[in-house]
Amino acid sequence: MREAVAVPWFSAGLKEWIFTTDHKKIGILYFTTGLVFFIVAGLFGLLIRFEQNSPGFQVVSPSFYNYLLTGHGAVMLLWWAIAAHIGGFGNFLLPLMIGARDVAFPRLNALSYWAFFGASVIVLLTLIPGNHIKMMWTGYPPYAAHPDAGVTAYYVFAIHLLGVSSIATAVNFITTYIRMRAPGIGFWNTNLYVHSLIAANVIQLIGVPSLAGAVTMLFLDRYLGTNFFNPALGGDPLLYQNVFWFYSHPAVYVMIIPIFGFYSEILSTFARKPIFGYKSMVFAIWGIAVISFIVWIHHMFTSGVPDWARVLMSYTTVLVAVPTGVKIFNWVATLHGGAIILRSPMLYTLGGIFMFLIGGLTGIPNAMVAIDLGVHDSLFVVGHFHYVLGMALTLGIFGAVIFWFPKVVGKMYPENFGKISFWLVFIGANIFYFTQMLAGFLGMPRRYPDYPPIPEWVVLNQISTVGALILGLGVLVFLIGIVKGLTSGEKAPANPWQSPSLEWRIDSPAPVDNFGEKPPKVEPDYHPYKYGAPPTF
Amino acid sequence: MDQVFAYPAKWWNEAVIVWLVVAVVIYAVTAVPGLYFIFKYRFKPGEREVGDHEKHGHWGLEALWTIVPTIVVLVLATYSFAVFKKQRTVPEDAMTLKVTGFMWGWQVEYLDDKGNTIKTVVTAYNPTSYEAPEEQKIVVPAGKPVKVLLTSMDVVHAFYVMPAKIVEDAVPGRITYLWFQINKPGEYWVFCREFCGTGHSHMFAKLKVVPPEQFALWLKGSSDLAKKGG
Repeated sequence: MREAVAVPWFSAGLKEWIFTTDHKKIGILYFTTGLVFFIVAGLFGLLIRFEQNSPGFQVVSPSFYNYLLTGHGAVMLLWWAIAAHIGGFGNFLLPLMIGARDVAFPRLNALSYWAFFGASVIVLLTLIPGNHIKMMWTGYPPYAAHPDAGVTAYYVFAIHLLGVSSIATAVNFITTYIRMRAPGIGFWNTNLYVHSLIAANVIQLIGVPSLAGAVTMLFLDRYLGTNFFNPALGGDPLLYQNVFWFYSHPAVYVMIIPIFGFYSEILSTFARKPIFGYKSMVFAIWGIAVISFIVWIHHMFTSGVPDWARVLMSYTTVLVAVPTGVKIFNWVATLHGGAIILRSPMLYTLGGIFMFLIGGLTGIPNAMVAIDLGVHDSLFVVGHFHYVLGMALTLGIFGAVIFWFPKVVGKMYPENFGKISFWLVFIGANIFYFTQMLAGFLGMPRRYPDYPPIPEWVVLNQISTVGALILGLGVLVFLIGIVKGLTSGEKAPANPWQSPSLEWRIDSPAPVDNFGEKPPKVEPDYHPYKYGAPPTF
Repeated sequence: MDQVFAYPAKWWNEAVIVWLVVAVVIYAVTAVPGLYFIFKYRFKPGEREVGDHEKHGHWGLEALWTIVPTIVVLVLATYSFAVFKKQRTVPEDAMTLKVTGFMWGWQVEYLDDKGNTIKTVVTAYNPTSYEAPEEQKIVVPAGKPVKVLLTSMDVVHAFYVMPAKIVEDAVPGRITYLWFQINKPGEYWVFCREFCGTGHSHMFAKLKVVPPEQFALWLKGSSDLAKKGG
């Protein structure tokens, strides 16, 4: 293992950043990259919104629109909803929460980041005219193997690099948890964030190779004359869909389960009491992870798969609401009897939970195959996933940024920016995504830059744009808050939130060698949610 | 029967209402107590400074909110199964259309009882307008079920019959189907609902629903685009 006499991140030079194997710096690299790409994908989203605002092509051509939408989808899902928090927060927090000095394989960890960086470079290359990728993030053949779809190779290679990054990270994190816990940290007093991170990485380990297989076959069909998906020569487009969604459905739980972990950490801290039903929460995390692998046909309810398959996975899909519901009810029960402090991380967390409730409840009509036959590929689906990802996930990450800001940076995130950004994001996103769901129920298809001037559609789209602008303003305020916190934030104590969790026992910002030579002394009755003393913040 | 506008839209609308009622109830039962707790259990210096540590769990409550949601979702899935069966069971007396999607339009062939094509309508791609000339409208009889056999010449498309609230993919190399019935004459929309490239948002058709007698006349009329020997 590389000597941990490396300097702390704020005094590290370029060489240190490029060659670092320190999990904390790697986490910062991941999150910063993810955040930058989130901003780019968000700007793409605004352009999409301005085009969709009215019938006709006002802002962009259909071809460029398809590039913007492909980029928006792929980058939001893979850079923001996975890499930014699993690579970012996962790397930073996992060793700290279990009392370890680093992850199990620090050099492999660096490789993970640089593979991700390579994928990021490919995405930037697609900005050059002529290099656009336009097959949507789902990349279905035969279209994705068609020249109209753009440079399919970029799409494939970016996913290959992301896959290497993800699989290596999964191996690393799972091994770290199994082998490097400090004495006194066991399965039943592990932070819920750690449980959720490990479950998400188990999904990655099993699922990512499937995605790699799907896009590799796509590459071979497009460039090397194979016919996996060409029915004229014995292939089948549905093969791609099955192999693609076998990963891409569990992937959405990779995205949200660690966010549930954030909710648990933050909620218990600002309610000053343990999470209600800790054991059930652990079972629920793993229940969601297991069920996530047996539902993927719900993305293909209208695709021509046999009816029995549709019915089977309609049943399995609705079942995922059970462990998810357990988590939501347990969070609400945690509030009962608490001493609740509405600091901005708590606002973000509560907002996220209430929005996930809407997102989850709107998942159910998609799971009910009879209703899906009317809303498949409409804006209703888009509204559903923006509630769970655009809102619950993003609110969760923003809350986590503010909450762990002191531990990473050594300064406090400015609280007023936290509160103002929360309300703007919450209100804007609700207006934005709720109108999408309504437009979808009224028949409007997704992935349409233009549409006939059906009055309800026009009105809903225009209201939607207002929501998007408010949301954009909220995100801007949040980002300015980060800059302000970095430059002039109030100096943070080691444990500003008076949390018993292990990461708060070391200085803020976290020292380079975490806990020092020896692992931290963990008391026999240690639990990360033992809030004994009244808070003074 | 005359009051119903379209099938399977009628059953779809009912299913949505069933779901919506359940969803609003679940939301209220969860969010109202949640909001109440946020206000009732606020931190108050001197009065409420630490959360109640005794309440870490309650197996009875947790069993309740595991079992009840399981029953609720299984009931919803079963209700959906019942509607799905109706959506997938084509009525005996349905007429058949063979629809082939292509980038970016629809070829619609009207079949007789023996499966021969007696008339063809093809929509032409118009990248900017949503108007369709008369001869490119898909004419169907009001009040009669229509079975649509679907396939594609190139990439995956999907045939969404908006008034009927039903869609199914058109996949090259296989034949898929849907059925619908519109009871009220008028002009309605058909949209492509599977992303298929630059022209996706303009791969539409106008569905013209006419009284059955008028349809019969139209079907036999000379203004068709079918190749000879249908």
